Amino acid sequence: MKTILSTVIVLLFGLQAAVAEAADAYVPKVYGKKGYVWDEMTPERVQVLKQKGDPVNGKEAFRGCQGCHKSDAAGVREGVYPRLSGQHASVLIKQITEIRAGIRKNPKMLPFVQDPAISVQEIGDIAEYLSTLTSYRENGKGPEDLSAKGEKLFMTNKCYTCHGKHGEGNAEKSYPVVAAQHYGYLIREMNLIRTGVRGNSNPDMVKAISGFKQSDMDAVADYLSRLPDYRTVNATPNPALVVPESSSAAK
Amino acid sequence: MKHKTNSNGLQVCTFIALICVLFMSAAHAETMQSNEAAASEVAAAPTPEAAASEVAATPEATAPEAPAVALSPFEERLQLCAGCHNPDGNSIIPENPRLAGLDKKYILIQLRDFKSGDRTNATMSAIIQMVDEKEFEDLAKYFSGQKRQISVSEKPELVEQGKQIFEEGVIGSAAPACMGCHGEDGSGDAKFPRLQGQNAQYVVNQLTNFKSGERANDAKGLMRAVAKRLNEQEMAAVAEYMSTLKEAE
Repeated sequence: MKTILSTVIVLLFGLQAAVAEAADAYVPKVYGKKGYVWDEMTPERVQVLKQKGDPVNGKEAFRGCQGCHKSDAAGVREGVYPRLSGQHASVLIKQITEIRAGIRKNPKMLPFVQDPAISVQEIGDIAEYLSTLTSYRENGKGPEDLSAKGEKLFMTNKCYTCHGKHGEGNAEKSYPVVAAQHYGYLIREMNLIRTGVRGNSNPDMVKAISGFKQSDMDAVADYLSRLPDYRTVNATPNPALVVPESSSAAK
Repeated sequence: MKHKTNSNGLQVCTFIALICVLFMSAAHAETMQSNEAAASEVAAAPTPEAAASEVAATPEATAPEAPAVALSPFEERLQLCAGCHNPDGNSIIPENPRLAGLDKKYILIQLRDFKSGDRTNATMSAIIQMVDEKEFEDLAKYFSGQKRQISVSEKPELVEQGKQIFEEGVIGSAAPACMGCHGEDGSGDAKFPRLQGQNAQYVVNQLTNFKSGERANDAKGLMRAVAKRLNEQEMAAVAEYMSTLKEAE
């Protein structure tokens, strides 16, 4: 027991060292451990949110991410790497800073978002760039259309409370867009969140999907993967392209 | 005093010997390949400066004891590089990089890193001591302006596997695809070097050195992070593919 405790302590100190210099006193708390606070405003996250993200710099900084997430940020259809295009900047900032802080466990991605791969400023720049990007590659969908069952589960379990009725998430509260995400990625992350392995699980979501069978997760993932890009649903018509009533009447 | 003179003399001798060996090996390599496509490519390669073709024709003339009177300081300097990298920067020695068509800024970074010791290589670290930093700009400009030659591979299966890694990465080990940073056709830029036609053995050596951390002058540490996720076989495959990679039209 003592050795486990000391290992954890050593680990925590190691993680702390990885956090930016501004976060000297900060110790990450992971889901399932004492003191875990979901959606904690870590010092680095606060710092990034305060800065104005520059999408031009973001495009350049994103080059180091393209090897996995592709040049249009479409990720991989099989869902090994998620689609990032159109994701809320606040969500991307939350996830990147939590991975850097060691709250979200993502050893595959960590070396590419740690210093010196990207700086604190570049986190916001990349997030800003991706939030307006549109992928030209299609997302991966389930092997069979389970969207009717998936939609029912999504509604009865009130997933829309956070993720929105069109899977559009909530930029203000850092809830991710889940519409048109890869089927494989959605299933993987649901499992990682429910088991807590992801490290930054939302306890409300763990509760909401705790009763899900694997087939239920497949159905919800399939439903979300078939939703259109939320931006096409919520798009307000460009005033420059709207034909005035008088001119349409003249026709 | 006498001792000092002797050691200086020894150093000079060593340098002369080193240069002779380098040019002899270059000359040897050229003779070896004289009947092969590589040599004809080199000969046919565009050489915008007259100096370059002179160097190709008479590498022996570069020996310090018999300097060619007509050469400008820059042309003379080019001969030093040409011994290992070929006059047009398309080295035919497998361990040496092709410099032709690399981004000027990228070449400058490497030259400065060799000079400062941030990048090391037994031969290059010795040679760079003979070159003044003021010369770097012209050298970088010259080699970046040369056309990169592409190789032909006799290992189609390795090339095919390498293409997969170059374009998709390795899913199991989460190694990112090369084209993410180096561009879809490997054209590269100032931060990430051009990979087209690069000598396969050189690429394998660099990936190995990035993996071990022996080479650590990569932009933002990205190449080291990627190389750690490649095994020897994958390195060989991706290097073989790069040697055949053509620039997009």
